[in-house]
Amino acid sequence: MKVRVDADACVGHGRCYELAPDVFDEDVRGHCRIRTTSVSDELEKQALRGEANCPEGAIVVEPD
Amino acid sequence: MPDPNPNPDGDRVVLGTPEIAACPQPVYERMRAQCPVARDAFGGFPILSRHDDVLWALRHPEIFSSEMEMQMALGTARPMIPQQIDPPRQTDFRRILDPQFSRRRMQAIEPNVRQHAGELIDAFIDAGSCEFNSAFAIPLPCTAFLHLMGLPPEELELFLELKDGIIRPHLKSSDLEEMQTIRKQTGERIYAYFENLIERRRTKPCDDMTSYLVGAELDGRPLTNEEILDVCFLLLLAGLDTVTATLGCSVAYLAENPEQRRRLIEDPSLIPAAVEELLRWETPVTGVPRIVKREVTLHGVKLEAGQLVMLLLGASNTDDAEFREARKVDFDRERNRHLAFGGGPHRCLGSHLARLELRVALEELHRRIPDYRIEPGKTPRFSPGIREVQYLPLTWDTA
Repeated sequence: MKVRVDADACVGHGRCYELAPDVFDEDVRGHCRIRTTSVSDELEKQALRGEANCPEGAIVVEPD
Repeated sequence: MPDPNPNPDGDRVVLGTPEIAACPQPVYERMRAQCPVARDAFGGFPILSRHDDVLWALRHPEIFSSEMEMQMALGTARPMIPQQIDPPRQTDFRRILDPQFSRRRMQAIEPNVRQHAGELIDAFIDAGSCEFNSAFAIPLPCTAFLHLMGLPPEELELFLELKDGIIRPHLKSSDLEEMQTIRKQTGERIYAYFENLIERRRTKPCDDMTSYLVGAELDGRPLTNEEILDVCFLLLLAGLDTVTATLGCSVAYLAENPEQRRRLIEDPSLIPAAVEELLRWETPVTGVPRIVKREVTLHGVKLEAGQLVMLLLGASNTDDAEFREARKVDFDRERNRHLAFGGGPHRCLGSHLARLELRVALEELHRRIPDYRIEPGKTPRFSPGIREVQYLPLTWDTA
């Protein structure tokens, strides 16, 4: 799976790096920074949790 | 398209009563279904209630502006920064402020918040009862604010008085003109207090928010005194009542739903999820105002430039178009895109601080007093607007 974030839509709610810390990290402003765009099978659940809880809908997880 | 508001009076809703504040979700449901652009029965302004409409409005500050002509209403001489200014200037200030309020930064003050929460509980645990709002929900966010600003905890009473002078002048007078005077005078005292603090931090900086603001740069120049004051004013007003209200609503819910509370006692790791779900369901900050900047038509209703519009966060957070089984309070909810902290560029600056305070408060409270209930025969009292539980009598068995 691939994960990407729309940096223009992210406003720093911080749900992704709180719920999926192995996939998402925070930058100095608390906005989302993706640790790895290519998500392994074991991290897929985390990535999807981040996507499902982003109030701005800024995260997309999709097949390679 | 059929007219969504066929009855000319059918779109008028009453939200501002204590009864509705105690249980607003059914009104929200009617609004979303019957009049997605409703009209406030008292103020006459339009209210958006559906999740997709509210999110869309929050994300379009060029249409829905935060620059109000009613700043005087809160005792301020100028707009509060960054809440009452629009991008791009607002973005410049968020660049400066966001790092100071990031989750990482807030983690550093967790031990302090936990200590204060513990001390507040120490004061009432042996009594077997308390009025939760005054004993815990009001002082906790204020002590956290003082800590963040580098101010001594002894200033608690003063700051509670200043905050109430702005937000609740009706405690001192019922005359509208006098209430405005109280607001204005309190506003002047707040400005004077922070001006003095800024001066002291200019001379002798230390590791606190005010010193940081004094040293911060915008377009290669330091912030002006007025800009720093306008930020400090906001931090004081925005960070206290909102968390107080959320603590009250959350604990009132948990007092009345012992089976849900039991889950948190048995597994405290559920608390962060419970904080989010209670933020969603209760949404203590029920709505945020915006000013329409250019005419726009929504669900067949024309919103005119200059008009005040309310974005009803509480209604958007209980919309089943977005939330599965929206009426169920579910601590295991897998998808929760609630807007209790707003959204778009004005997403609550203090959301990470608020989450920290709420989590630590629920952890400490349930660790120390797992079995509490509303005092038999008593009824909690909610205020409209910001749903503060002004009267929350709790009781529990003592050893």
